[in-house]
Amino acid sequence: MSANLGLQKTNEWKPLRGFSNLFSKENRGWWGTRRWWINALLWTVLLGGLTAIMLFGPNEEVLEATETEIAQAGGLTGYTLWVGLNVFFQFGVSVLAIGTIILSQDLIIGERQNGVAEWLLSKPVTRRAYVLAKMAAHAMPILALLVGLPSAVVYGLLSLKAGVLFPLAPFLSAVGIMAAHTLFYFTLTLMLGTIFTHRGPILGIALGSVLGGALIGGLIPALFYVTPWKLAEVAWMTATGQAMSPALRLSSVAATVVWSIVFVFVSLAKFEKLEY
Amino acid sequence: MNQSDRFVIETESLSKSYGDVQALRKVDLKVPQHSIFGFLGPNGAGKTTLMKVLLGLARPTAGSGTIFGHDIVTESVAIRERIGYLPQHPRFIEYMTARENLHLTAKFFFSGPEAQIRARCDEMLDLVGLSDKADRSIKGFSGGEKQRLGIAMAQVNDPDLLILDEPASALDPVGRKAVLDVMARLREHTTIFYSTHILDDVQRVSDTVAILNQGELVASGPIEQILNGKDGVIYTMALKGHRNGLGERLAELPWVTHTTVAQQNGTSVWQVSVSDEAAAEKDLLRYVLVDPAVMVTEFSRKTYELEEAFMDIVKGEENVR
Repeated sequence: MSANLGLQKTNEWKPLRGFSNLFSKENRGWWGTRRWWINALLWTVLLGGLTAIMLFGPNEEVLEATETEIAQAGGLTGYTLWVGLNVFFQFGVSVLAIGTIILSQDLIIGERQNGVAEWLLSKPVTRRAYVLAKMAAHAMPILALLVGLPSAVVYGLLSLKAGVLFPLAPFLSAVGIMAAHTLFYFTLTLMLGTIFTHRGPILGIALGSVLGGALIGGLIPALFYVTPWKLAEVAWMTATGQAMSPALRLSSVAATVVWSIVFVFVSLAKFEKLEY
Repeated sequence: MNQSDRFVIETESLSKSYGDVQALRKVDLKVPQHSIFGFLGPNGAGKTTLMKVLLGLARPTAGSGTIFGHDIVTESVAIRERIGYLPQHPRFIEYMTARENLHLTAKFFFSGPEAQIRARCDEMLDLVGLSDKADRSIKGFSGGEKQRLGIAMAQVNDPDLLILDEPASALDPVGRKAVLDVMARLREHTTIFYSTHILDDVQRVSDTVAILNQGELVASGPIEQILNGKDGVIYTMALKGHRNGLGERLAELPWVTHTTVAQQNGTSVWQVSVSDEAAAEKDLLRYVLVDPAVMVTEFSRKTYELEEAFMDIVKGEENVR
């Protein structure tokens, strides 16, 4: 019948039928509403502001530092930079994970509960396209506004404090680790949204991992090698160029990436089986 | 014309259970092309479940089904390309206007030209009488307006089949009339399969009806057939005068299956069930009037209101259980 309307039928790759329209819809939820600038402002002010206080404000930690510590950092300015990086990466990695969980906990479960998912899936849309459109459309602004923008501001602050451009490679490596950590919690939260029907278990498991991971890893240190629970420290040590176990660094980063991929596949498999 | 051309929806022993709850029991359904097919049943009968199974939103636990000849499980996307669906409680993207929601829906089916997609959306808004509210936020819409927007969204792809789940149940009489009018306007081009428990609506717009009770299809066919009731065609006669032996003589007729008689104010009211409607129409009255002692004061074919037929069928099935 639609041929009678003189309209061109959508001609998408069948396994991802509906992806582009769903991607536009999800994108619009970020860039067509005030969500983008609220998040841009919030995380930049929070992480950039805290780092700026550490770099330029009266800093007890710097004042109380021993000479050995200052020498290890290459001087007082170097030590101040370490403290600033410590706040940005150690605190920032965890706080961004919490922010990501809060922002994404509702993405699948919200539409499942309010009936929008049922309505969308009654259109010529594959379930694979539905999940992947959500992942792609939300991962980009989360990485750009929660990780990228504050990192760029912090990099500027570090360079200002140092009086020269801060070494880019270790900083970018650390930001990459921060991004991997953020994506881990993003994919974990989405996957939990395909498994559970209420927000409680989603928030409990994801936030429990962020807040309790270090504690569990303290009891069973081997877990640090296969989880993201040590990544905050790994990111900080990478940014400051401090020596650390290459096995721990490589293994924890690789495990985080692998887990994220696994979560994507589990999300797709679980969502395929959901009924409405 | 082959089978799949004549029937848009065909199911065979379609069953769905949730744990121990049997929501659908071996449903054999055939929905003819270009019909307005009213799907009746009390609350909880399984109407919405059947629609969801047909749309691929739930999987059957047994049996099979096709829509346009496509399998409902393995070819669901191809089916949904030709379907418009209105859920019982239509949902929209809240931060979008009515026009934007409609445009989003259209883009699942069409890639361009953009101007024509927008024109199609305008046409649909006009069809449901929402042109003046098209750029308003969905949040301010009344239930009736949401329902009409839902119908516009279900129709935007000019579907070959419209599946409407209780399209008028939550509406006031004005809203209900508006929705039924829209359905009547669409009937020329589209097969409409809709569920409801409002029997007046069915009698007003449907030409074919099925009744689902406790997950089981207990009746299905043209509305006239359902209105005949499960006892088939019955003629009612009011007789006065001497009529000894009439019952026995009627029973001898090969197409008379059953007779009952009741006395009312000196008149005997006869109900004659027949198996051959044409023969009864031609000969029954003539046969009774052969006896000059009998006076016929009323003669008519018994007609049921849908509610009566529905209750008759549903209650009858419950008694069988």
